[in-house]
Amino acid sequence: MNEGKTGVKAFFGAIGGFFKEFGEGVAKGDLFVKLSLIWMGAGYIRRKQFIKGILMTLFEAAVILFSVLFAPRYVSKFGTLGTVKQESVFNIVTMQNEFNDYDNSFLILLFSVFSFVVWAVALVVWLRNIVACYRLQKMAENGEHINTFREDLKSYVNEKFHITLLTLPILGVVFFTLIPLLILIAVAFTNYDQQHMPPASLFTWVGFQNFANLFSSGLTNTFGYAFGKILIWTLVWAVFATITTYLGGILMSMLINSKYTKLPRMWRTLFVVTIAVPQFVSLLLVRNFFANNGIMNTFCSAIGLTGWLRDIGLISTSTIPFLSAPGWAHVMIILINIWIGVPYQMLIATGVLMNIPTDQLESARIDGATPRQTFIHITMPYMLFVTGPALVTDFVKNINNFNVIYLLTQDIYTTTDQLMASSQAKETDLLITWLFNLTQSYYNYKMASAIGIIVFIICAVFTLIAFNRFLKGDREEAYR
Amino acid sequence: MKKRHLRIIRNNLVLAILAFIWLTPIVWLVATSFSAYTGMNTSTFFPEEWSLQGYKNLLFSADSVAQFPNWFKNTFIIACFTCIISTLFVLMVAYATSCMRFPMRKPLMNVAVIINLFPGVLSMIAVYFILRTFNLTNTHFGLILVYSAGAGLGYLIAKGFFDTIPTSLHEAAYLDGASEATTFVKVVLPMSRPIIVYTVISSFLVPWMDFVYAKMILNAGISSQWTVAIGLYNMLEKSLINSYFTQFCAGGVLVSIPISALFVVMQKFYVEGVTGGAVKG
Amino acid sequence: MKKLVALMMAATMAFSLAACGNSDGGGSTTPAGGADGNTQQAPIPAEKQNVSLRMWGAEEDQTMLQGMIDSFIAEYSDYANITVELGVESEADAKDDVLVDIGAAADVYAFASDQLNDLVAASALQSIDSMDQVLQTYAGKSVADVKSANAAGSVDAATLNGTLYAFPMSADNGYFLLYDSSVLSETDVQSWDSLLAAAGAANKKVGMVMASGWYNASFFYGAGFTTGLNEDGSTAMDWGGTSASGITGVQVVQGMLDITGNSAFLPVADGDTANQIASGSLCAIVSGTWDATAAASAWGDAYKATKLPTFTVNGKQVQQGSVAGFKLVAVNAQSTNAGWATLLADWITNEENQNIRFEKREIGPSNVNAAASDAVTSNIAIAALSEQSAYGVVQVVGGNYWDPTATFGEKIAQGQLARDNEAAIQEALDLLIAGVSQPTQ
Repeated sequence: MNEGKTGVKAFFGAIGGFFKEFGEGVAKGDLFVKLSLIWMGAGYIRRKQFIKGILMTLFEAAVILFSVLFAPRYVSKFGTLGTVKQESVFNIVTMQNEFNDYDNSFLILLFSVFSFVVWAVALVVWLRNIVACYRLQKMAENGEHINTFREDLKSYVNEKFHITLLTLPILGVVFFTLIPLLILIAVAFTNYDQQHMPPASLFTWVGFQNFANLFSSGLTNTFGYAFGKILIWTLVWAVFATITTYLGGILMSMLINSKYTKLPRMWRTLFVVTIAVPQFVSLLLVRNFFANNGIMNTFCSAIGLTGWLRDIGLISTSTIPFLSAPGWAHVMIILINIWIGVPYQMLIATGVLMNIPTDQLESARIDGATPRQTFIHITMPYMLFVTGPALVTDFVKNINNFNVIYLLTQDIYTTTDQLMASSQAKETDLLITWLFNLTQSYYNYKMASAIGIIVFIICAVFTLIAFNRFLKGDREEAYR
Repeated sequence: MKKRHLRIIRNNLVLAILAFIWLTPIVWLVATSFSAYTGMNTSTFFPEEWSLQGYKNLLFSADSVAQFPNWFKNTFIIACFTCIISTLFVLMVAYATSCMRFPMRKPLMNVAVIINLFPGVLSMIAVYFILRTFNLTNTHFGLILVYSAGAGLGYLIAKGFFDTIPTSLHEAAYLDGASEATTFVKVVLPMSRPIIVYTVISSFLVPWMDFVYAKMILNAGISSQWTVAIGLYNMLEKSLINSYFTQFCAGGVLVSIPISALFVVMQKFYVEGVTGGAVKG
Repeated sequence: MKKLVALMMAATMAFSLAACGNSDGGGSTTPAGGADGNTQQAPIPAEKQNVSLRMWGAEEDQTMLQGMIDSFIAEYSDYANITVELGVESEADAKDDVLVDIGAAADVYAFASDQLNDLVAASALQSIDSMDQVLQTYAGKSVADVKSANAAGSVDAATLNGTLYAFPMSADNGYFLLYDSSVLSETDVQSWDSLLAAAGAANKKVGMVMASGWYNASFFYGAGFTTGLNEDGSTAMDWGGTSASGITGVQVVQGMLDITGNSAFLPVADGDTANQIASGSLCAIVSGTWDATAAASAWGDAYKATKLPTFTVNGKQVQQGSVAGFKLVAVNAQSTNAGWATLLADWITNEENQNIRFEKREIGPSNVNAAASDAVTSNIAIAALSEQSAYGVVQVVGGNYWDPTATFGEKIAQGQLARDNEAAIQEALDLLIAGVSQPTQ
């Protein structure tokens, strides 16, 4: 917690310092630093860093061209998300539909967000540029050595190596994760649904209307009811799925790597084979295995288990509803997830446990610690330390675990809760599968986005705290 | 001595029971793939009549439904590129965040956590339209981008691993005059085999497993362009399942063989990690 | 960009108009476009156009469709150089993939008629009425000819608010009773009571999909209830009250509960019907032509089919209704080459190709002449379907219909409603109606 706070403080401190330097640069910079405000390459060219100067100038030209030729067409309509509806006229001579110059709300949103991101990046580069030019000026005034272009390049494999490493991955994330997310966040404040689908129709901003619908409940609006129920199951699922597979993986790994186990590689291979079968194959098979008229039910009624369960009143149907009744399905899903998830965790645990400090284990053995004590006091703390962050991400991944739930319940589980059904939800849905169905079968993007944001907010506060605790700066170095 | 024997029996017995549970569905998959009946068999565990027809049809008589050789080739190419790009991205981000210190490190890591909190399928539609703007839908390149571009966000496990590498090793490298890049490539990477293997395997698997994104991006309905996952998933369509279920199982088995082989081969590196990684700890 | 395209199109149009005028020696320069209601033939450009189209069809039909495409290209080779790219898309899922990105969907695609409302709401369908001139110029028929050539029900199913939105392709997307005549006699299959009694006596089961608004609505439609479309896109439903035939919704539910409560009844999951038939435990099932092959192989020569049985409502026998389902071929409203797309859609649904479709795949034609042929009428499944079609209803429902009705059917299938508790049944019906009439939030 403290570390998190100081982290945040340091961050804002750094930003404050940066702007102070920027202001100083603008105020005290020489003519060329000031000229850099308009012509970004000026400061470099003054210090004879010609290549850098040219590159900066080209960057500036590209941004200006983008802002003049491309961005205004979309950004100018961002306020309304378009006003001209699509119309088409059929031309019998060309045999073609001719469309008017219509607005596509989604493309307007997409390219506006894209433009904002480009401008934000350009602004940061522009600010840093002034600071860099001002620093150059000071270095020149003090008679220090100014890097040649070659030396600049060299710094990118040394002290600036992180920039080299991070540029491409960050670009990838920005284009394929960040921008899509920003767009979908924006969609939560629009009326983008089946009645307002581009290109034929337009959608527009509606403010917080979708969130209001999400939190109010009634006969004709059941989203609030469904949301509450699904949220609870999502959290229960995430906790159980994470803990069971995590512990199961460690235990299995220790069992396989135990000195009493013969042929550890063979055992490991046997379990690993189950990972090699794609989930959509193995899960669909398992689902048929446990279907109402599947093999498991045939088997259970043959040995009399079905009859016994009916006698004690656990089931009312003639088959065991492994995956088709609430309660049963919830437990089965968690059990099947253990089947799916433990071999993965076993592999990770094996990798990590190999690096466990042997001297600690050795001294514990000499001190006469039982295996259980060793496990609790040495193995688990070490595992938690190394895989702690991964455990947090696993939890989030399980909240968003689409495959298991979707493949096990899609098309075979029908809810008997009419209020859930009215919101296209079912008891076994996670928020993520619910969102998916809302977008895939009902094109209700606005509600899906609104739900996504709410979930995010709930998780974000919780996770950031946990995360900052796991990643306290001093602990990062603890095992070095 | 007796206690030792008991423990050996207990351990191996427990593992045998677990292995039985874990392998039952897999055995069923393999058994069904050799069934002579083309539909799904729900009454008996093993097929009533055995046949190789499922494999024969899948491999040698491609029709418009089943184009397995094509799918396999497509997926393999996509998986290779995805694997290379993702592994590089993950290791690069992990090294930068674990072994280097720079002002934006903490904020970037926090942003990564925040982005990871958003459900991925939510942004699917936007990703689709971004690809379409660049004319990359219905191309394998587009799919590779989708699978690998955001891979950097999954750096945490690798970072956790790099965190266990002693700082003294870096410092020794710097003293020898090595650059940061040299340290990364020549000192840290060779010590990180287990985590590289983990990253390689998990990123290689993505294209074989994903049917949601693939189905959305390869949406022209040209079945020869598909990946294995969409193709096989498609065989379970209501109208097809009865004539293609055995082929579906056969396809599942054929996909699993190379992936299993990959795992088995990579396990060797795990063991090498134990014996050769004595520096750690 | 779009402006540029528009300009270029205007230019080509002007050019082709001029070219056409010249070749005619300044004769006919009739202005193009159907806006003035001109139903005469339009001038045909002298220049051969290069046209590329994309078409989607069902997986199993690919080879057959390729043959139809080849004959289409040959038919119109005098007018245009056409290339058609054929893709795979099952009729049942067409809507899901089209609506994600209408612009990327094929120019011509087949879909099941229950998706029409959603597709029209999203403006994904080109109005066929507006293509009258194209059909007259190139295919030598009018839209009215298309309508009269196909069964009235199929045209109704392709029409919304008076506009024809698709070409009827087949009339086989409905359900009826498939049964094993070695277990059940022709009198047994007349009513659910005798059907279940005979099945129970033979230790066999009768299957039906209950958890689907496509199947379970059949009981309500049979009793004279209706569904409709509200202006906000939700479903209008009167199942809570009393129908035109004087039956209350509660009584219908009681009739359904009598069926599902019988131990010889087996609720089947949607999509699992073929498996259930193959498993050998069933002697009859409510399903459609898609399961005819499975039934024929499971029951051999004893496989028969007939209309749905009657069921008991308040002591009286009421004929179970059904949804008259069709498969239709659409022209994408976002398609640039809408004219040629229309001609292709017309081509693959004309009488000749409906005949081919029946010969190769046993798909019941919607074309009146094709449906009247001896081969079609003697087909067990199609004969039963046309027998049932007298009680079939074109199902008009809004967006939020499917999930609530599936749940309602599942509740009945699981016996969660007590037969004698009329107040609870009424409450369940009210809840269902509130759900389906819930506007999209």
